[in-house]
Amino acid sequence: MWQTNLKILLVVLGTLGLYTWVASAIPQVASEVPEELTFSDDVTADDLVMAGEQLFTGAGTCTACHGTGTRAPNLLTDHAGEGTIGQRCGTRVSGLDCKAYLQTSLAEPAAFVVEGFAEMVFQARAFSDAQIWSLVAFMQSQGGEVTVTSDDMERADDAAATSAPAEPSGGSPVAASQTTDARVLLQENLCLGCHAIDGAGPPLGPNFDDIGGARTADQIRRGILDPNVDAAPGFDAMLGMMPATFGQSLSAIQLEAIVTFLAARK
Amino acid sequence: MALTPAGLLAQAAEAASQSTVSIPSYGSFPAPGSRVAIWVAAQVHLFFAAFVLGVPMFAVVAEAIGIFGNDSKYDKLAKEFTRLLLVSYSATAIWGAILSFGLITLYPGLWNYLARIFAPSMWVYVGLFFFESFTLYLYYYGWERWHDGRAKLMHWSLGILLNVWGTAVMFIANSWLTFMMSPPAEVMPDTAPEMVRFWSAFANATWMPINVHRMIANVVFGGAIVGAYAAYRFLTSKTDEERAHYDWMGYVGNMIAIGALIVLPFAGYYLGREIYEYNQQMGITMMGGFMSWAWIIQAFLIGVLFLAGNYYLWVGMGRIPGAERYMPYTKWMLVVLVLGVIVWATPHTMIANRDELAAMGGTHHPFLGVLGVMSAKNTAVNLMILTTFLSFLLYRRANKRTVVPWARTGTMIQTAIFVLAAAIVLFYGVYGYFVTAIVRIGFSVYQVLAVLAAIGGVVTLDIMIMRGAESYGAIRWGQMPPRSQYALFILAVTFTWLMGLMGFVRSGIRQHWHIWEVMRDTSEFAATPPLGYAAQVISWCVVIFLGLVGFIFWVGSLAEKPIMSHPRQDSLPSTDSRLASAPTGN
Repeated sequence: MWQTNLKILLVVLGTLGLYTWVASAIPQVASEVPEELTFSDDVTADDLVMAGEQLFTGAGTCTACHGTGTRAPNLLTDHAGEGTIGQRCGTRVSGLDCKAYLQTSLAEPAAFVVEGFAEMVFQARAFSDAQIWSLVAFMQSQGGEVTVTSDDMERADDAAATSAPAEPSGGSPVAASQTTDARVLLQENLCLGCHAIDGAGPPLGPNFDDIGGARTADQIRRGILDPNVDAAPGFDAMLGMMPATFGQSLSAIQLEAIVTFLAARK
Repeated sequence: MALTPAGLLAQAAEAASQSTVSIPSYGSFPAPGSRVAIWVAAQVHLFFAAFVLGVPMFAVVAEAIGIFGNDSKYDKLAKEFTRLLLVSYSATAIWGAILSFGLITLYPGLWNYLARIFAPSMWVYVGLFFFESFTLYLYYYGWERWHDGRAKLMHWSLGILLNVWGTAVMFIANSWLTFMMSPPAEVMPDTAPEMVRFWSAFANATWMPINVHRMIANVVFGGAIVGAYAAYRFLTSKTDEERAHYDWMGYVGNMIAIGALIVLPFAGYYLGREIYEYNQQMGITMMGGFMSWAWIIQAFLIGVLFLAGNYYLWVGMGRIPGAERYMPYTKWMLVVLVLGVIVWATPHTMIANRDELAAMGGTHHPFLGVLGVMSAKNTAVNLMILTTFLSFLLYRRANKRTVVPWARTGTMIQTAIFVLAAAIVLFYGVYGYFVTAIVRIGFSVYQVLAVLAAIGGVVTLDIMIMRGAESYGAIRWGQMPPRSQYALFILAVTFTWLMGLMGFVRSGIRQHWHIWEVMRDTSEFAATPPLGYAAQVISWCVVIFLGLVGFIFWVGSLAEKPIMSHPRQDSLPSTDSRLASAPTGN
């Protein structure tokens, strides 16, 4: 009896030991937490590159797609005979230097999609400005010259503080201010905290699913710019809840993108 | 709940002032720390929960076969399944309590947030758990009293009801954990929990895929644990009668486990697709990011499952008169399975740094890259499924002599169906190398459909061919070499470990978020550990679970021993009578 029990125990422990050993013998990759980065005014290019590399190869999980050659363009090695990312970034889009191109690509994944690939899956809002700029610096360092400085981050901070519209130089806040994707804008501006869309969301404001049928584009635009003048039918009690700041925080293109999008939802 | 604008405003104001999303608080736990403590509690609870949810499903099916097929040995089997269930039930509840207290004391911020959203469902959960417990007691303890006629049907209905309660309980718990993975899009980091619509949070994007996947996986897991229990009882049996019974029970457990396992990848595909649809970044993290190596480990484990399951069947043919004619085929089936495992476990797109890319001479390994693509892997796994199905078919036919005049033609058609299915799988596997990725993904559907159609067609034909078949002789239940039983242990350990691994993957792809992109994990354990570390934790969970299960089953057997020593003749058929009824009972 005890021999049988011993054999069973050995088989069980042996099987567990084998699986544990196999799982420990393969390359060990952890998912690190993205470090909060703060840079002083005299931050060097090397500091930025080092921070960017850590983010690129670690918590940013960039290598899950960039480096396989199938999901996204290779960045650290040659792509389509154009060299590494630092070599080709300045010539990708006419009129945009390397820094602006890379920063815009991170902030707006749909802006410059490389031919043959889908839009980049990158949650810019999960990263701080300093993290984004360190990534830009790291990518510049791959065959190019690092031109990111602390000024870029200061401009980003200032822009974020005042919620100013995007600057063409690329020194704008990352997540909220540059995109013209209406859905993203609705999310970033927290509209969906009160308005339901796609059948889901709180009913604190008019439902976005059929708003185009009930309100004209002009009414929608006026409702965004000056929300507390006229209440939508049935929402009198909510008057005063919606911030009246979108006229300042949204660019004209962004505002029209939202208006067009909502007016079409009938 | 009636919502008025004024009420909503008041709620919003109150909620905004109470929001706890941004800064969760944490308790502490001595070595190995809070994360491992919660991990072990959740995993062991889940092991027991899967067992007590999976077993009633086939207990009630076995009881139905006993009732409608008028076969008392299935009724006895169903009761024995339920006895295992009864003794495991309290362990499930104990580990559930440990998990709850762990969450309350170690992760109070997260617990508080979830409770504020899901409080109503928590009360329903408790109520259903209460009903489930008492239905189980009635089901088990009423077995002998409600044994005949209409009373037996009522007893069977209790079994169905037990499954309904259990499934509802699981669905509710699944909503809590899937919310952490895929909170609705309108839930933002600064959204107060009171502002989250209950049903929107409850029926989130991954809720139903997890429900389906877990239901099937529970059946697989339950079958494997029952198989291991039967194997232990077989190895320690003192009489031929006991050995015959537990041999048969082990066979049923293995058949349930492997049979349900064949369906499980389709449920996994559904879950994976929903994860991608919800958030592509999460999907890529799962399949190609830091979790990518987990799928290689998974392929290795499933390879072990296929090999052990088939090995058990092949060894089992030794106790079936007439099976000799099929034995020469087993070595070729083994070749297909081994090649399949090798291809399936070949890495493809892994996270690689610049040095590793340089060492490989490119983004893919020059040789392995060819085998590691989905075309090759899908082909391999579909051929493995076909091979395993063939094993079951040969096992089923082993002791039967056909009598229908068109049997030879029918068998040739069956062979043609097998060959055609394999050819379709191979064709699309090879063709997949010459088309773009998006086209290639669609090919996997054709491959799966070819295999499923082949299984359906061959089984239908087989039932017709075997109509009125004569027997080469009764299956010699109990005459099984002991080594076959160790295969059942390996199956149980592997299923359990695999469940732990997949749990780690599902939970780990949230990375440093308690609730994906809503509540950050700001504790010292926020980083997700690598696979080696996870493997150690999983192994400890399996050791704890199997140790407790072993103890619980041993305790359960203490009460049963006097019955087994002096079996009631009407409830335990003799070996002879079992042999008489067994030949077509497989």
